[in-house]
Amino acid sequence: MTLQIQISPRDGASRIGQAERNDSLVARNSRVEPGTNIVVRIRRQEHDTGHYDTFSVPYRKWMRVLDALEWIAENKAPDLAYRWICGSKMCGTCAVRMNGREVLACWEAVEPEMTIEPLRNLPVIRDLVVDRRPFEDRVAGLEPWIERPSAYAGFPEPLSHKQMKDASKALDCIGCMCCYSACPVIGLGSLTDFAGPAPLVQLGQTALDPRNSPAKIARSLALTGIFNCVSCYKCEEVCPAAIPIVSRVIEPLKAKAALLLPERARHARAMRRIVAERGRVDPGALILSVQGLRALLRLPRIIRLLLRGKISPLRTIFRIKTAATEPARRLLGREASQ
Amino acid sequence: MRFAYYPGCSARSTCAELNVATHRVARRLGLDLLQLDSATCTGARELRAIDPAGFYTLNIRILALAEREQLPLMTICNTCTLNLLDAHAAFVSDEALAQGVNDKLAPENLKYSGHTRISHFLWVLYENIGEERLRELVTTPLTGLTVAAFYGCHITRPPLRYGFIDSRNNVAIERLAEILGCRPIDYSGRTECCGFHTAAHDETVAIKLTGQHIMSAKTGGAHAMVTPCPLCHTVLDGFQREIERDLGRSLDVPVLHLPQLVGLALGLTPEELNLDRHIVAAAKVAHTGRKHGAMNAVE
Repeated sequence: MTLQIQISPRDGASRIGQAERNDSLVARNSRVEPGTNIVVRIRRQEHDTGHYDTFSVPYRKWMRVLDALEWIAENKAPDLAYRWICGSKMCGTCAVRMNGREVLACWEAVEPEMTIEPLRNLPVIRDLVVDRRPFEDRVAGLEPWIERPSAYAGFPEPLSHKQMKDASKALDCIGCMCCYSACPVIGLGSLTDFAGPAPLVQLGQTALDPRNSPAKIARSLALTGIFNCVSCYKCEEVCPAAIPIVSRVIEPLKAKAALLLPERARHARAMRRIVAERGRVDPGALILSVQGLRALLRLPRIIRLLLRGKISPLRTIFRIKTAATEPARRLLGREASQ
Repeated sequence: MRFAYYPGCSARSTCAELNVATHRVARRLGLDLLQLDSATCTGARELRAIDPAGFYTLNIRILALAEREQLPLMTICNTCTLNLLDAHAAFVSDEALAQGVNDKLAPENLKYSGHTRISHFLWVLYENIGEERLRELVTTPLTGLTVAAFYGCHITRPPLRYGFIDSRNNVAIERLAEILGCRPIDYSGRTECCGFHTAAHDETVAIKLTGQHIMSAKTGGAHAMVTPCPLCHTVLDGFQREIERDLGRSLDVPVLHLPQLVGLALGLTPEELNLDRHIVAAAKVAHTGRKHGAMNAVE
């Protein structure tokens, strides 16, 4: 039987909906006919009260969200507040939400009907303009600079692509705040101390640089609440610079945190230890290991799970082996690390 | 059609009913599953972050086990699926990594060449069974049952893996639900995050996030939610009582694993699908569908 090498499930059932919902750049740019009008609803806000204004805008070929905002400001609402500088995907100032998705106004094709709102998770100054101060304060607090562990040896200072592979991704950031607006954990406000994707990417520019000192990196990472990232990839989905934020910035930073601040990585380390010992996750062992006696506060749930046969105390207490135990011990256990 | 089958850890512990249901539904569908019993955990989100080398080794070993059998690999968990896809992508694009992992697998006489096709149960339904055959197999259409599809994250994001500009455009589960006779609803939580991956150290995020999603499904008129991921199920169903307490209101929304929904339409009983193993009573879902179906027939 010959099987084809699969690079990514870019075809077939994993993409159902993409064609019918115009989920491609070509489809997005050919949805509206020149000469027709598009409907643009804009969130207007000053102080705490807000409302939506609706405008009919004549469509021009290749029209971007920013072009529609410009037409509205010039023809219908001269008091519309929105922000942009470069108009070419570099300055990161024009990000808004279009139909519930974070986009750069200067880079996104208009849709036949669209609702434009300011970014979430930041205070609104007016209409589509948000206050970037909470983000900037958070980044400044993380001290995103390099402190060398030893004296500068002088120029040239060669760095390989491999050494900079993750930092270089973070350096693509244009600071547009799309990811910060899309992050569901940031959306929960002060419930956690999570810094959010945008500040972590800013930190990654120096914390993932091999010239930075571990003590400095540890000091910064201690302020990020990084293990509260839920790995939902909402940030990656909206990043106009296509930075793999989760896999190339947050995860490498988590690896550093696990090494430099092991107490913060209790959950990740317990998970690795249990998989290395047992081959599979035993949820009982994981929760006990991470939460300790705090786990008993969840007694009603523990009873419910026991009654439905969803957890097995015997498996946890006697560390019952499975067919996966030996391979895991060999590949992840002490033998593997020697 | 034969598959190497990787149930993952959750379907062997907190969601054991998913494994039972998958085996029974697979028989009805004519799928022959070879369960990979010596397969380890894929490392969830933790291993890939703090021990990438170990992560690649465990995942590529699973792919090698399937390749040794010359079978495509079927998964039933979003996070496992993405882990395996990511490990496969790294393997075929990084020769040094590939060689290093194969050296570690050699003592077991295992070697991966990059030929395993990874397919979630949801995709198998479309790609290997096909919509037409599936329609023929439906013996008990779930007419009258309104369902809210809860995709979770790792079956529709990241874009670099799945290719969606906007992951909300994935409609695979809704289309399937229609084939099974249900009425799918549109609601805000469809492709949102359940918060499972931080729940072992802090449940509040999962409780708050998922509370919003269940509320939105209930408000949208869903009799039940359906998910292709046991990790999402753990929060949606297993945490629902805590979520109700947090919201200060009753929800009582049954949450089905995807194979259970398919199984009901294929004529399996709630008992055969282990619907009685859920925290929120789910067996009633079968009766909801049939009751409404019967009413529609009378009308």
